[in-house]
Amino acid sequence: MTGATGSRDRHLPTGEPNLPRRRVLTWLSSFGLFASVVLAAVSDWFFFKPRVTYGPRSRFAIGKPDDFPPGTRISRDVERVCIVRESDRIAAISTTCTHLGCIVGIADTGFACPCHGSHYDQDGNVTSGPAPKPLPWFQVTLAPNGEIEVDKNSQVEPGTYFTV
Amino acid sequence: MSTPTEVPNKTALTTLREFPSNVWNSIFRNPLPSTDLERASTSFTNFFLHIHPVKVNKNTLRPVYTLGLGLISLFLFLILIATGVLLMFYYVPSTTQAYDRMLDLRGTVAFGIFLRNMHRWSAHGMVAIVFLHMCRVFFTGAYKKPREFNWVLGVLLLLVTLFLSFTGYLLPWDQLAFWAITVGTSIAGYAPLIGRQVQFVLLGDTTVGQEALLRFYVLHVAVLPALLVLLIAVHFWRIRKDGGLSRPEKAATPAPEAGVVKLKKVYGLQGFVRGPFTKVGNVPDDSVYSWPNLLMAELFVFVLTVSLILVVSLAFNAPLEQPVNVMHPPNPAKAPWYFLGLQELVSYSAFWGGIGIPGLMVALLFLVPYIDRTTHGVGRWFARERLLANTIFLTLVILNVIFIAIGTFFRGPNWTFVSPF
Repeated sequence: MTGATGSRDRHLPTGEPNLPRRRVLTWLSSFGLFASVVLAAVSDWFFFKPRVTYGPRSRFAIGKPDDFPPGTRISRDVERVCIVRESDRIAAISTTCTHLGCIVGIADTGFACPCHGSHYDQDGNVTSGPAPKPLPWFQVTLAPNGEIEVDKNSQVEPGTYFTV
Repeated sequence: MSTPTEVPNKTALTTLREFPSNVWNSIFRNPLPSTDLERASTSFTNFFLHIHPVKVNKNTLRPVYTLGLGLISLFLFLILIATGVLLMFYYVPSTTQAYDRMLDLRGTVAFGIFLRNMHRWSAHGMVAIVFLHMCRVFFTGAYKKPREFNWVLGVLLLLVTLFLSFTGYLLPWDQLAFWAITVGTSIAGYAPLIGRQVQFVLLGDTTVGQEALLRFYVLHVAVLPALLVLLIAVHFWRIRKDGGLSRPEKAATPAPEAGVVKLKKVYGLQGFVRGPFTKVGNVPDDSVYSWPNLLMAELFVFVLTVSLILVVSLAFNAPLEQPVNVMHPPNPAKAPWYFLGLQELVSYSAFWGGIGIPGLMVALLFLVPYIDRTTHGVGRWFARERLLANTIFLTLVILNVIFIAIGTFFRGPNWTFVSPF
């Protein structure tokens, strides 16, 4: 039955017949098992990484420029931005603490985080505490309907204001 | 009447009369034991009891050696499964309903508040007891060869226990839950390279919301418990295979040479078992039958554990804070006590406190039995030969406790230092 050639040893040291077909099958199945584990892991990763999210929008309108008289500093906690108006300039500073994601509150000196005590100045620069980075500033534009729009997907250099 | 040939002639009345005992005997293969052979048989013919060896070393039963900590952890886990499954009948993992369901548990569901108390306090207890169990194993040197891998499994069990409690406390959807998960998942975001991705996959979104609640719920009620059960099974199996329940090496009074070698005993399949515990007939016999000695000890620990949880649950209600207010984090926003050491570290540096140092500690824990290859000082508390290892471990344990104490009692609004006195 075995088609093994005479030059090859027909028996393994354990005494079992050394069949090429059995070895090939063992290799193939082992490879199959390994490949299916890898495939499962990779596809699981993509499965668990959502393509659509249902959370708050990252680009949103906040109202007309007149809603924010000069000197305003309003924290909008749903969108997690602080709207700053100085004379005719408007900016949006993130209120998500760069340390661990708590919402920073407006304090006399700028911003203060309730979770681990990070402090920022009026422009969002870290003055004390464990926060590793300053608060990012977001792009502010004027929508065609005259409302101010904030886009949290595009950050701008701190100190960049939008002139209304 | 008593000869077997007459069995077919039994009347219906006899069949009826013997019905209860027939059923009993078909379930339990032997009567309540009165001889040693039957005691042995009781252990290995019962599905639930054959996890035990037929006989155990006397020293195993010394309460001050193991303190029963591993067993208490198991019993707390059983309480958690029982109460957790019951709570699932009334819980909805939805951001709009979860908190109301908590109030329902408190207000309308019969025994609802009591079940939640039991679940919460058992969870706290399990974290503490699993940690103490690890300390006991270290201080008695019980992780040494051949038990190295079981120590590794034990560390895994500790991590899964912590992750279970972490996923569990998002579910009430109160302020503590929301902000603790916000902080906790942000810590994951600090992991190098894949941190942000892991955070995103864990939350299913960029912020903590409905997706995060659903994911944590599934992890908490299905994935992690299944993993824990599997790990516990292997952990217990390895105890048997690695030399039996941990015990002091020698009894205080050395076993007399008298009770040696009775080769006439035949114990069936036990003859095939290799390794350190084929003691029967080969060594001085300082062992006792698991039934009833070990079983009674376990039953006692079980009753003690359940009673304690019941009393605590009657006396103290599990905390429930205000419903989630995404706008206003509580100040200070604190995690449960066992993560406050971590939170204290995190307040110095997010990476080193949340990823670097904890990662290093866990790696060290995994490697303990492979770093310490000495074989002495096994089976005694604080053995003199293990002074260095015990000192290092005790220092780390005390440091952990100190950080937890600072985080719990000495931190006020904006995480500033306050005095509790």
